[in-house]
Amino acid sequence: MIDLWKEWVGRRWNAEARFLNLERMNEDEWLKRHRLLSPASPDAKKEPQVVFKIASKLKPEVETISLAHNNLVSGAMMTTLAHYLPKLANLSLEGNRLSGWKELDNISGRRGRLSQLRELVLVGNPIRELEYKNNRAQQYKSEIARRFPSLEILDGEPIARVGFDAPALSTSTSTRPHNMLSTFAFQMQPSLIAGVDGPMVSNFLGRYFPLYDQQRGALLDVYAPDATFSFSANTAIPPRARIEGIHVSKEFPNQRKLEWAPWLSGGLGGSRNLGRMTGSLQKVTQSLHLGGEQAVKAMADLPATRHDITGAPEKFCVDAFPIYQGEKPNLLVTVHGQFTELPSEGIRSFDRSFVLAVAPEGSRARQNDWQVMILSDQLVIRAYSSFEAWRPGPMRVQAGDLLPTPALLEVLSAVPKPQRYLMQDLILRTRLNLQYAEDCLKNNDWDLERAMANFEQVKANLPADAFLPENAFMS
Amino acid sequence: MSTLTQNDIEIATRAADNFTRLYYSTYDSPTRVDDIPNFYRANSALTWNGQPFEGIEGVRELMGGIPTTKHEVQSFDCHPIPGSQPPSLLVTVSGIVTHGKGPAGNPANTPRHAVDGHPRVFSQTFILAPDPNAPPTKSGEVAKYYITADALRFVG
Repeated sequence: MIDLWKEWVGRRWNAEARFLNLERMNEDEWLKRHRLLSPASPDAKKEPQVVFKIASKLKPEVETISLAHNNLVSGAMMTTLAHYLPKLANLSLEGNRLSGWKELDNISGRRGRLSQLRELVLVGNPIRELEYKNNRAQQYKSEIARRFPSLEILDGEPIARVGFDAPALSTSTSTRPHNMLSTFAFQMQPSLIAGVDGPMVSNFLGRYFPLYDQQRGALLDVYAPDATFSFSANTAIPPRARIEGIHVSKEFPNQRKLEWAPWLSGGLGGSRNLGRMTGSLQKVTQSLHLGGEQAVKAMADLPATRHDITGAPEKFCVDAFPIYQGEKPNLLVTVHGQFTELPSEGIRSFDRSFVLAVAPEGSRARQNDWQVMILSDQLVIRAYSSFEAWRPGPMRVQAGDLLPTPALLEVLSAVPKPQRYLMQDLILRTRLNLQYAEDCLKNNDWDLERAMANFEQVKANLPADAFLPENAFMS
Repeated sequence: MSTLTQNDIEIATRAADNFTRLYYSTYDSPTRVDDIPNFYRANSALTWNGQPFEGIEGVRELMGGIPTTKHEVQSFDCHPIPGSQPPSLLVTVSGIVTHGKGPAGNPANTPRHAVDGHPRVFSQTFILAPDPNAPPTKSGEVAKYYITADALRFVG
C-alpha cells in the first residue's frame, strides 16, 4: 500500500523544480484505479499524513507544494504539513473553499507553523475573495502577513517588509576550530553609563520614578508629542527564583496576593507581547499608545507602584549609551529593577527601555525643566527575581565551577586575545598554570576540545607544579 | 500628533517577529561566531552585562567568549521610533537562557536549592536601523536592517 503511495507521489514530483504538485487530487484517475482515497477527500483520515511523510523523504528537499483546486473547506488536511515539511518555501491553496482564519491555524499557529514560507497563494478562496469584495483587502493582507512573518509574496504581490543579513540556513564553512568555551570569558559588570553625561541619566531616572509612583499625570511633560509607549507582562515563572523558593519565603509575605489580570488586560489595551498576539490585529494596534497623552492615560490605568530607586541602588541596574539615528544622537537607557505593587504590597521585577532625545528649546519638556524628552518607552513586568542576578563579579556556568580571582585575571590580561580566553577556560577546567595551559593549547593547535582530551590522557603524570595553587581560584 | 502610520506599525511587528526568531536560533547554533556578526555593522554598539563591545569584531569576540546557549523567548515588543523614515525599531525581549549543559551538567551531589546551571532570566533591548549602504535585495523589501545598538543583562 505504501509502495502505491510512493509511486503516486513520484508521479506528482518534479525533482528538478523541487515542486510537488498535489492539485486536483479528488479527480486523480490513477488514485481511483488503484482504489486509493484522495487525501483531499472529506473522508480522508491517514492519507494526508502518509503523503506528507513520503514527501518529507524526497531528495532534493521539497520547496514548493500546490494544493490548488482540492475543494478544501477546512485546514484539517494540513495538520501534519508543518511537521513533515517545516522548511516549505512556497504553498498554493488556490481555488479551494477556505473561508475562515482558523483554517490556517494548522500552518500558522501554535499547533503547526510554516516558519520559512516565502510565497503563499490564496486566490479563489472565500477567505480572500470576500475580504476584497468588502473593501478589506488591506486587512486581509495584514492578517496573512502577521500569521506568516517570513512571507515575501502573497497572491503574486510582494509584501512590504524589512530584511536582515543573516543566512536562514547557515552556509558558513570556517576552517578555524569552533572553540566553544565552557566558562564565561567575561564577568558581570556594574551599571554602564557611557558616552553621555552621567548626571543626565541619574537625574532623569531620579525624577521619573517618583513621579511614576505619585503623580503619573505630570509625566506628560517629558514625553514627546509623538512618543510611543507600551508594556508587556512576562508571566513565566523564573527558574532560579523558583528554586530559591522566593515566592513562598517569609521575606516576601505578599507575593501570593499579586495577580496578573490588571497587567494583562488593564492599561487601556492590555499587555503587548507580540509573540502571543494570535488574536486580532486590533490588539497589536490598541496596545501601542501613540503620543504623550495616550501614554499617560494608559499608565494611569495600571496598578499603583512604589519604586525605591535612590534608597537601594544595588536593586537597580542601568545601561545607557548614545545611539545614532541620522545626524542627531539619541540616548538608549535600559533600567532593570523592582517595585512594590499596590495595594497588595507584593514585589515585581521590571525592565524598562527608553529612547531619549535632548529636549529641544521651547519644548514642553524643556519648559518643565527636563533635559531630555522620551521618544519611546517599553516596559516589561515579570515575576520577582533577585537583584543578585546582576551582582558584579565572575559567573558560574555549572555548579561547582571554579572562578578566577582578580589576581589570576590580572596575570591573564597580559595574554593577547583570543588566546587569553581559551587559556582562561582551560585553566578553570584543569587548574593548570599558565605555562602548561599555553603549551597544552599550542600542542593541540589551539583546539580546546583536543587540548582537554590531551590533558585527560596525561594528567596522572603531570608534576604538582604544573598546577596553580588553591588560592588562584574562588569556588 | 503621531507621524507613525498603521503600515509602519505592521511592518515593525512583523520585523520583530522575524528578527527574534532568526537572531536567537542563530545565537544558539554552532556557527554563531560566524553568523551572528552579520546582524551588526562597524558602528554597532553593544553591551553584554555591562561589558561594552563595538562593531563586528567586538561581536565576534563576545560570541567566542561565552558557552553554548539555548534561549527561550517568552515575550517581545517592538515600536517604530519616531523621527526617521524608514523608522528605526526599538525591540525588547524577555526570556530565559541556559548556558552550557544546563542543570544536567551539574555535578551529582549538587544541592537541590543551588541555582547554578539553571536557566537565567535575560532582558535584551535592540535598536534596529535601516542600512543606508545595503539596498534591499528582494522585491517588497523596504530596507535592509541591522542591529545598531544592543544591551543585554541577566536579570534573574
